[in-house]
Amino acid sequence: MFRTSDIVLIAVMVSAAALTYKTKREAEDQLAAVQKIHNQIRYEEETIDLLKADWSLLTQPSRLQKLAELYKSQLALEPVSARQIVGLSDLPAKALDIQDILNGRQGGMADNSDKAPADGKDPVVTGGIAQ
Amino acid sequence: MIGKLLKRRARTVEDGSIVVEGARKATGGKGKARIVMTMAVFFGIFSTISGRLVYLGFQTPDLSGGPQSRITASRPDIVDRNGEVLATDIKTASLFAEPRRIVDADEAIEKLSTVLPEIDYEQTYHKLKSGAGFVWLQRQLTPKQQADIMQLGIPGFGFRTEKRRFYPSGETSSYIVGLTNIDNQGISGMEKYIDEQGLSDLQASGLAVAKDLKPVKLSIDLRVQHVVRDEIAAGLERYRALGAGAVVLNVKTGEVVAMASVPDFDPNNPYNAQEKDRLNRMSAGLYEMGSTFKSFTSAMALDSGKATMNSRFDASHPIRVGHQAIHDFHGKNRVLSLPEVFLYSSNIGSAREAELVGIEGHREFLHRLGILERMQTELPEVARPTEPKVWKQVNSFTIAFGHGVSTTPLQAAVGCAALMNGGYLMNPTFLVRTQQEAMAIAKKVVSEKTVEGMRYLYSLNAEKGSARNARVPGYRVGGKTGTAEKVINGRYSKELNFNTFVAAFPIDDPQYLVFTIADAPHPEKPGMTDVAAANAGVMAGNIIRRSAAMLGVKPDFSHENGATLVSYE
Repeated sequence: MFRTSDIVLIAVMVSAAALTYKTKREAEDQLAAVQKIHNQIRYEEETIDLLKADWSLLTQPSRLQKLAELYKSQLALEPVSARQIVGLSDLPAKALDIQDILNGRQGGMADNSDKAPADGKDPVVTGGIAQ
Repeated sequence: MIGKLLKRRARTVEDGSIVVEGARKATGGKGKARIVMTMAVFFGIFSTISGRLVYLGFQTPDLSGGPQSRITASRPDIVDRNGEVLATDIKTASLFAEPRRIVDADEAIEKLSTVLPEIDYEQTYHKLKSGAGFVWLQRQLTPKQQADIMQLGIPGFGFRTEKRRFYPSGETSSYIVGLTNIDNQGISGMEKYIDEQGLSDLQASGLAVAKDLKPVKLSIDLRVQHVVRDEIAAGLERYRALGAGAVVLNVKTGEVVAMASVPDFDPNNPYNAQEKDRLNRMSAGLYEMGSTFKSFTSAMALDSGKATMNSRFDASHPIRVGHQAIHDFHGKNRVLSLPEVFLYSSNIGSAREAELVGIEGHREFLHRLGILERMQTELPEVARPTEPKVWKQVNSFTIAFGHGVSTTPLQAAVGCAALMNGGYLMNPTFLVRTQQEAMAIAKKVVSEKTVEGMRYLYSLNAEKGSARNARVPGYRVGGKTGTAEKVINGRYSKELNFNTFVAAFPIDDPQYLVFTIADAPHPEKPGMTDVAAANAGVMAGNIIRRSAAMLGVKPDFSHENGATLVSYE
């Protein structure tokens, strides 16, 4: 009674059903995972908001001032005086002594061109102030 | 395949129809009855199901779970000019109960009291036995309490998250940021302004989603704001004053960098915000400004072109108008030059300056500077200045030295800023504004020459006059004091003063203006004086000393002697 074609058809049908079931099941799992991640994101966002408020509370100038006054004996922090603020041009020039002049590299760049990459990709050479 | 099947069936019909007919007859027609019965059974079942569905559809579902959390209550954060948070929404959990689902009220309360010891036993018991669908038990729990209650696992209890406005800076910026009510609607300060800018419409239409709301950036600098609040609070105590206040104004842009007034309130717990002395004195308080007004009188005399720096005014004897006489506080009893009138704060000299300009000119000048107009700014709490209905000669005389008209300190500060920044009057703003934007709306009110003269007078007064207390080494402060007799029950009090101080720095090209007030201050110690230089001036000096570096004003000692501290070892 059953022909090969029928069996094949039934097999196709069953496997199609199985595939549909599996796909649906997977989609549900994925949706649940997405939902979970969404919840987690929301929770994290709320936590960030709370932490930001907390941070701002902890860094309030009034609180910092109280702490600075409380631990004055240990920290020895003082308000900045106007005389402590100067521009770059106000800095006195550093006096040169005879050794600096003899070395002759005062203010030059340290030569480290030998450390440049061999393939020449990055020709920029950074250097420190010569001592 | 299907074709084959069809073919087979077709063949059957062609040549086997009689057989099929016969087979049907063989059952004796019973098949039909069975089919009808089966149909009836199925129909019965399905009609029952659909009937039940219709019934349930008409049923109003039992509303348990309480009110939905409102998303409409979201508000944007308020941040200062550096992005520091001044106001933000935080989510708190609130505990509710559904009494109908509570199995054992006694047990539930007993368990709950292990987490919330302060809970009222009797009241809670009545709530849980009330049979209501929903009752609040405790609002705004900490996250830890919430977790603990969840651990108890009491049936019929649940949580709703609620948004709550939180102000990390507390009192520091209370008057500027303002308050919200229980429904998270702004009721004062910038909170109210934000609502008026369309937020309330957004909330009403349910579109105010927290994510889409951009933070509102104020022109306030929280660090400077703290310095100002700290100094006036200290001043309030030191001088046992009724009130104190200060504003720091950027004269180039009209931005309010800091403004505070004490006594104030904690916006996180505003139980005393409605008390009578809790008033933003800087923008909502009306006062007679006293000698600070002589800035305007001198500027008016200079700007009218009728007086110059070399003009002389006779202050050798009091002015008599009717039976009133105008005296000087520290009379020199001689003819004074215009700078001397300012320096010695001569009432008579100022009255003479006003006389020179004329009553109408005097009135027009003060209106031009916006001193007597209602100020246009974002803060809703703004008072309307008062002036005499009809200006007579005596009014003009007294107004010349700051008595007879009342205005708000913030407005007086804005007027002074116009005399310092090159003659441009700009509305004060609490939102960030660039100099270009400010210049676009600015109104030129006095000439460059007048501004130059006023800067000179201010620096002279800080060097030789009453503003010496506000001097800060390196920051070239210029200023003017004002000591007005306080009006109590319509009479000038001989004991109590209302003191003001205006300072601009650096005076050769002013960038910031500080205006301080002290309401009814007392001498700091017996034997000391209670005039403005001793209190409002000191506060202004302290504010400048502590905040100038944060405001980005570069100290300059070229006018003073003394070496900078930096050197190589």
